[in-house]
Amino acid sequence: MQDLVDAIADMMEDDALALTRKYLDQGVPPLKVLDAYKEALGIVGKRFEAGSYFVPELILAGEMMKTASDLIKSQIGSQEQEGGAKKKGKLLLGTVEGDIHDIGKDMVHMLMDINGFEVRDLGVDVPVQRFCDEYKAFEPDIVGLSGLLTLSFESMKQVVDALKEAGMRDKVKVIIGGGQVDEHACTYVEADAWMTDAVAGVKYALEWVESREKGRVP
Amino acid sequence: MIVIGEKINGTRKGVAQAIQDRDAAFVRELAIRQFENGAAYLDLNAGTLPRSEPDDMVWLVEIVQEAVPEATLCLDSANPRALRAGIEKAVKTPMVNSLSGEQFRIDGVLPLACEFQSELIVLPLDDNGIPRTSDGRLNIVSRLVAMTRERGLPDNKLFIDPLVMAISTGTENGNITLETTRKIREEFPQVHLTCGLSNISFGMPLRSILNQAFLALLIAAGMDSALINAEERELRGIMMAAETLLGKDRHCMNFNRAFRAGKIGPQQVS
Repeated sequence: MQDLVDAIADMMEDDALALTRKYLDQGVPPLKVLDAYKEALGIVGKRFEAGSYFVPELILAGEMMKTASDLIKSQIGSQEQEGGAKKKGKLLLGTVEGDIHDIGKDMVHMLMDINGFEVRDLGVDVPVQRFCDEYKAFEPDIVGLSGLLTLSFESMKQVVDALKEAGMRDKVKVIIGGGQVDEHACTYVEADAWMTDAVAGVKYALEWVESREKGRVP
Repeated sequence: MIVIGEKINGTRKGVAQAIQDRDAAFVRELAIRQFENGAAYLDLNAGTLPRSEPDDMVWLVEIVQEAVPEATLCLDSANPRALRAGIEKAVKTPMVNSLSGEQFRIDGVLPLACEFQSELIVLPLDDNGIPRTSDGRLNIVSRLVAMTRERGLPDNKLFIDPLVMAISTGTENGNITLETTRKIREEFPQVHLTCGLSNISFGMPLRSILNQAFLALLIAAGMDSALINAEERELRGIMMAAETLLGKDRHCMNFNRAFRAGKIGPQQVS
């Protein structure tokens, strides 16, 4: 299905949809078709990192994926589709208190969802207490804290402090993300990792859960 | 066009560091460069922690007004204590950035602006967030202008920002801003209109080209001010060209004068 992978990766919406229908009609297993989408999204991610694709391409890729998922669900029923797709992990995500920037966070949400994570997205300007309450309820493997403004570092630190106080810090990976995060911010916040773009963040999260599955906990 | 220089912003790392280190030379240079490039107003955002923001704001006001006494300061803060401290330190009544429909700003910023009769940037967002339609934004603007009028602040002190969102995340985002601009201009002819221009191109390649095109479109829709990087030469050129083309430059004198002074157009090799 190289033609399908290429159509998706090259942002050819109509071709991608037509080829998707064609393959499904031919009886190709839906999960295999979704694999083609995942492969294409990997290519899209690389082109984003290389600086030839930008935010619109990531968004369109996500939309094409959703269209395909919806099409598959309507054709075969959601049970059969979800059956083979066990969730890789759980991500609790939000832009911290004092900050309402959300484009990067929304990218992370979409990419992690596509990559088999269960994502709970708390939105923007999320108070520390809400992160804690939702943490207890959702029990995520990863907490993703997003923020663009430098004042967000303080809120991020408060979330990590609250997790520590509640004895929950060791059970979870904390990743901070945003246009201005760096080594210093990561140290100050006491996070496990820092990312300045969604694609890199998702890569890190995937590598971490995969190595954890193989028994190698970093 | 009333240009507000955007660079002295402590929510960005470099400036945050300078404020923390009290690096006066750094801030002074930023102020002078922006002013020399046509920014009559200088936005000052102390962007740091609530505890130190008032002191940081006062420090910024001191340094900048001493470096460029002819500029008008624009105090960018949601913290009423930082705003008041900055206003009281300023020699010339500064612009206040900003009032919105959020309750804490109505409670904290509106009374200050009215007390000092300062120019005031107004944002059409509230505790429910940013309306995604021009009518939604206009509703908030109408509510806020009613409040400022009631408290005796004249319309011409208001700089209303129709809100610029990234085109990369919404195909209609440019149109929504342009529509909002037109509607505000029509409904409130005495107010000024300003905006954070570069938001339009976030997440896109060739940001400066998008910014330039959008600025021209905004000016045609009624925008008469903008928060920009005043040092972007090409942006200045487009800005002046748009004004000239829209009949705001009698006999094209501003444009041609700027050309002769080497302020716009290809840089002359000296």
